[in-house]
Amino acid sequence: MERKKEVMIGNYAIARGLVEAGIDLAAAYPGTPSSEILPGIIEFNKREKGSTYAEWSVNERCALEVAIGAAMIGKKSACMMKQVGLNVAFPPLPSFDELKIRGGLVMVVCDDPGPQSSQTEQDTRLISVLMDIAYFEPSSPDEAADIAYYAMNYSYEHKLPVIIRSTHRVSHARQAVSIFPKGKRIVDLKEGVLNKTNGNLEGSKLGIVSSGMTYSTTLDVLKEMGLDNIIPVFKVTSIMKGKISGDKNKGIIEFVDKVEHVLVLEETDAVLELLIGKNGKVLGRNTGHVPSAGELTYNVIRDILGDVLESLKITKKKFFYDYEIEDATKEIHIVQRPPKLCAGCPHRATFYAMKEAFPEAVFPGDIGCYTLGTSLGAVDTCIDMGGGINIASGFYDAYNQDGALIPIIATIGDSTFFHAGITPLYDAVKKNKRFMLIIMDNGTTAMTGMQPTPQTGITAQGELNKPILIEDMVSSLGIDFLKVVDPYDVPLMINTIKDAYNFLSLEIKKAAPAVIIARRECVLSSRGKEKPKYEEIPLEKTCIGCRTCIDYFGCPAIQFDDDKNQVIIDEGLCTKCGVCLFVCPMI
Amino acid sequence: MNKTKRIFEQTPETMEIICAGIGGRGVLLASTLLIECAVDADLSAIASDEYGMSQRGGSVVSHVKIGDAKSPVVGRENAHVLLAFEESEFYRNLTFIRRGGLAIINSRNTSIFESVDKVLKKRNIAYFLIDGDKIAKEKGMIQASNMAILGFFSAFSIGPYNHDALRHTIEKKVKESLVLKNIEVFEEGFLKAVSLSKNL
Ligand code: SF4
Ligand code: SF4
Repeated sequence: MERKKEVMIGNYAIARGLVEAGIDLAAAYPGTPSSEILPGIIEFNKREKGSTYAEWSVNERCALEVAIGAAMIGKKSACMMKQVGLNVAFPPLPSFDELKIRGGLVMVVCDDPGPQSSQTEQDTRLISVLMDIAYFEPSSPDEAADIAYYAMNYSYEHKLPVIIRSTHRVSHARQAVSIFPKGKRIVDLKEGVLNKTNGNLEGSKLGIVSSGMTYSTTLDVLKEMGLDNIIPVFKVTSIMKGKISGDKNKGIIEFVDKVEHVLVLEETDAVLELLIGKNGKVLGRNTGHVPSAGELTYNVIRDILGDVLESLKITKKKFFYDYEIEDATKEIHIVQRPPKLCAGCPHRATFYAMKEAFPEAVFPGDIGCYTLGTSLGAVDTCIDMGGGINIASGFYDAYNQDGALIPIIATIGDSTFFHAGITPLYDAVKKNKRFMLIIMDNGTTAMTGMQPTPQTGITAQGELNKPILIEDMVSSLGIDFLKVVDPYDVPLMINTIKDAYNFLSLEIKKAAPAVIIARRECVLSSRGKEKPKYEEIPLEKTCIGCRTCIDYFGCPAIQFDDDKNQVIIDEGLCTKCGVCLFVCPMI
Repeated sequence: MNKTKRIFEQTPETMEIICAGIGGRGVLLASTLLIECAVDADLSAIASDEYGMSQRGGSVVSHVKIGDAKSPVVGRENAHVLLAFEESEFYRNLTFIRRGGLAIINSRNTSIFESVDKVLKKRNIAYFLIDGDKIAKEKGMIQASNMAILGFFSAFSIGPYNHDALRHTIEKKVKESLVLKNIEVFEEGFLKAVSLSKNL
């Protein structure tokens, strides 16, 4: 039989496995590190000339419930999300016990240990275990394809919803992945002790229980230490219905019973550790042997193992860092590269205008690229998708109770607005909360890779549907102050924000909040589509070195040349948007 | 180049490479080419990209492991090779390089900080500076400096990464409209290394 390999990221491998398993419907809301799975499904489905239907849902709950609907009718369906997306999708989970599906239902949830690109770490396995939902956990892209295939078929056969829990190190790793024709994948899911240790476990001083990418890294570390054929490592690939007592997982308990000590290495919470129990025998997060948060990187695992092996008097293999390397770079100025909004980003212009209009305002923010507004002092809070609007409501009540009308300027992106902003805004209108909401409409879901929003009307397949305009939605809620402004027009934006504040303080009979839609396409997605606004940016010519633009604006295309005591513009980065011309006091 | 050859006389069973640079300047393409090239040579390979903020000009580090490796994460002082596509990122990622390793740095400068030079010598790490940006600019493709670095690297013929193999991978994997220019820059980087070895 034809068997090929192709290099792809873990998320594409998951997509491949699902397509080979004959997935009928896929629904997702984008979120790092899960965003590439849906496009992968669309691509492989095309290649296989299949008829899978795939859609970007407006949020994770919609994605899950659409998938549930299809599974009830008998289809093989799946939804994808990032770990905090599962919180949004949570409502149906407690009813899964009574859920009757005739088809298959796979939830792919990608965790973000670290976190690298989320507001918080969160371990999806905890929720699976709590809700008695079976989960599978791949330890590499190649295995991810197998697991996706297996999980879908398992769900279909057993009529049980299942979760595939990935992490960014699996989802974004690149590896040659086996490709099979549809329905023909041969899967041999491995669980248990797979490294060849000499002989019997009985009397082994240390055994390791691990899963996912942490398992793979642990094996590499043991190999570096020369212990991969000595210390047995038990690989956990799935936990069925929240227990390890069942047939499939009883091997874990046997393993734990046989060895003298057990070190549990897992990301991100102590899930296996809790399931195993066995106080006194198990070393892990609860005993302080494993850090309580953060990614278990190669270095972290190497340190943990070095310490544990030494404290159990097994061997001295601690890795000692050569700190001379750090010493050598101590005096060197290494350019810091914190993430920044792009040069020419319309959000930066909006934030600048907000600060100019009301430097003393409070700024509830939200989740997206524009969370980076923190560095401009224009985002004060960031808790969860859509949370900024409700927080603004709470702020208003709190200040109002004390008799103060403080300018409150909340921001939310267009995709986040559709995802979780409409209900909070409706609620705020019902109660006449007098704050300002700026919807930063750049026409796309920029943070996660430019997925289309409902306003574009563009579907996941790239077809055109009826667009839903934000202004139509907002005005239908009964809002009286609604303006659409191009953020590149900084003076107009500043004036509009001031008008909105006047409206809120003077026209108290009219419905609040006041809403401004700051509309301009994301510079990344509009690249090459539009002529630059300006032909030349004469900033360098008039610069007197006051650093206003550096300190209060921070466009990455503007650098300060200390020798010349003036700015220089990086022509490679500058988009010639001209917003800095409003910032510089010399122009 | 004698010394480096000595270091790499034997390609290790598992080779670990770090590609470091800034977003949007071809780090991820370079690591993709490295892994594809290894796979073409029938080696198993795995890579991991840290690109959360890459589109926004942040630092990007890509880990590549070929041979008998399970995870795509390189440990401190474990990388055999560091390809630094920008000089600051070279300094930032110094701790990755193992004793006896190799670093290739894209930089306008012709020397590195003395303190770093000293510690690298002490750790028997060979390093080379190459002005990839200049080469790329001369060839009319400013974004292709990554190819100059790869070309230079290919001259060392470490493991699967010899000139012909890498060139072949580029021809196969780079967008058609860009292949010719990319190859030109790659060849120029390769020649730089060759002429350097003649001078030594
Ligand atoms: S604000 Fe104007 S004068 Fe001040 S440093 Fe920037 S460019 Fe120069
Ligand atoms: S015109 Fe000014 S603000 Fe716009 S990208 Fe160029 S330097 Fe930045």
